Amino acid sequence: MRRLFLSLTACLVVFVGASLLGLILSAPPAALVSSLASPEIRFAILLSLGTGLLSTFICIALAVPIAYSLARYDFPGKRVATLALTLPLTLPPLVAGIALLLFFGTTPWGRILEEAGFAVVFTPLGIVVAQVFVNLPYLIRILRSSFVAINPRFEHVAKTLGCTEAGTFLQVTLPMARPGLVAGTIITWSKAMGEFGAVLMLAGATPMRTETLPLALFLNISTGDLNMAIAAATILILISLITLIAVDGIDRDIVVF
Amino acid sequence: MLRIESLTTSLGDFSVRDISLEVRDNEYFVILGPTGAGKSVLIETIAGIHFPSSGRIVLDGRDVTRTAPWSRPVGMVYQDYMLFPHLDVGENIAFGLRQRRVPAARRREQVIEICGLLEIDHLLGRSPGSLSGGEQQRVALARALVLEPKVLLLDEPLSALDGPTRERMRAELSRVRRLTGTAVLHITHHFEDVFALADRIAIMRDGRIVQVGETGDVFLHPADRFVAEFLGIGNIIRGRSERFGSVVRITTTSGVTFSAASGTLGEVVATFHAEDVILSGAPFASSARNCLEGEVLGVVPCGSTIQVRLDVGFPLTALLTRESCHDLALSPGVRIFATFKASAVHLIPVGS
Repeated sequence: MRRLFLSLTACLVVFVGASLLGLILSAPPAALVSSLASPEIRFAILLSLGTGLLSTFICIALAVPIAYSLARYDFPGKRVATLALTLPLTLPPLVAGIALLLFFGTTPWGRILEEAGFAVVFTPLGIVVAQVFVNLPYLIRILRSSFVAINPRFEHVAKTLGCTEAGTFLQVTLPMARPGLVAGTIITWSKAMGEFGAVLMLAGATPMRTETLPLALFLNISTGDLNMAIAAATILILISLITLIAVDGIDRDIVVF
Repeated sequence: MLRIESLTTSLGDFSVRDISLEVRDNEYFVILGPTGAGKSVLIETIAGIHFPSSGRIVLDGRDVTRTAPWSRPVGMVYQDYMLFPHLDVGENIAFGLRQRRVPAARRREQVIEICGLLEIDHLLGRSPGSLSGGEQQRVALARALVLEPKVLLLDEPLSALDGPTRERMRAELSRVRRLTGTAVLHITHHFEDVFALADRIAIMRDGRIVQVGETGDVFLHPADRFVAEFLGIGNIIRGRSERFGSVVRITTTSGVTFSAASGTLGEVVATFHAEDVILSGAPFASSARNCLEGEVLGVVPCGSTIQVRLDVGFPLTALLTRESCHDLALSPGVRIFATFKASAVHLIPVGS
């Protein structure tokens, strides 16, 4: 059994490695370098990193309190709330995207936002909104199970030791939820970098305006510019690799790979 | 020190109803009750984790019924210790001092002092996960006691420990209480915990207190069948204890004497389990110090075992297997010898 399982693992490692490496090496190196230096790819890198950072930050800020209330508090409609927050998980991002497009594009709320200077449809802000909408449910789920796993008695003891409610949360609950928080952040960040469907629907695919790396890949492959597409893909692979190595280096307690 | 007046708290399936009791200065008070009696809800309410729906909690002369837990002078130690896993032992103990913004130098002094008291100096830099149960228990105690609480609340502090550690911890609790002078409220479902610790006990059932009193009184005069069965000791004998070599000798009111491995002198209630009594047709030489002759009064089947009631000058109950009972041909009127070890006998002093 051991031999069978190990050889299966080895096969998969070789396959994943070969396909990713093959992708990077399929373009002539000189062409790859010039594509990477092109203004379009440089723009896409910056836009992806910027929107990804912002949406990850917003996801954490929202998911921490929401996940905690789902884990700890009892309130009417808790099951419905949990369902509503879980549903986007199982939806194709394209569906989430079109729902967002209709919400921001055709309702009075969308118009009010637009007049206030926060236009969402077909704008870079739309990228952030789409990423948050798709990724937030994942982060809430991960954090909720982290919080559920912490015995509330830790919080009780902290309070008898003089910690206020907020102090308990910051000094006991959050540090104890750290592994989930780190893992959730990595997943949110990586998914934000790669988000395609929802971003395409809500923010469109305007070159040099809402063109993130996945969209650059898509636009260039549809126009037949294979080298540019490979350049975008190479950058995405590099970002994933750096993310995993950085987290592993920063946090010894958390096993990333 | 701590006075609870008609306290009622509901929390899901658990509730406490109309509880009134008082823990006096310096007192070690034990609340005994089966699992699910609402004991944890009670002490968490005293700590301020839950607010009662009615009743009052008065602590050190101050009404704290609606006071936030972080402003109450109570310490709490749970059965499973709840040491913060992301902090080392020293940081765990200093946690409360840090909340009070005690300067670092003073904090260190206080941590070292309490660690000396509990003999855990050597554990300071360790992580809680690497400690044994008994060590974790001491650290949890130190973490609570370093704040000098008026009342220390203990939730089943001995239940998670194995035999010898339990025994050591019991002695430790009694010593710590003597040294710090903190009033202690200890909840447990093990009646063994009351020996050598409790000044007074309360028996709790279904969210209510069914009996409160001096430990000896409660054992001697259980308020009802539930208390009697819950204490379930089998043998409860009133007598007078006197030193006799390395043990004590108890003379019962009827004049029969037997030995107990204990240091308690004077008027006592002696208790021992029915399982600890051995019956034999003739007196036999053994390491057990007590061998009394008596007459069988009754033989009552009790599940897979048989309860044998004897008169050895006082009523005595023994628990036997069906086979032994058959081999000894026990029936009412038969003369028999009852043997039990001096170390099986627990003594509870009776207040004069």
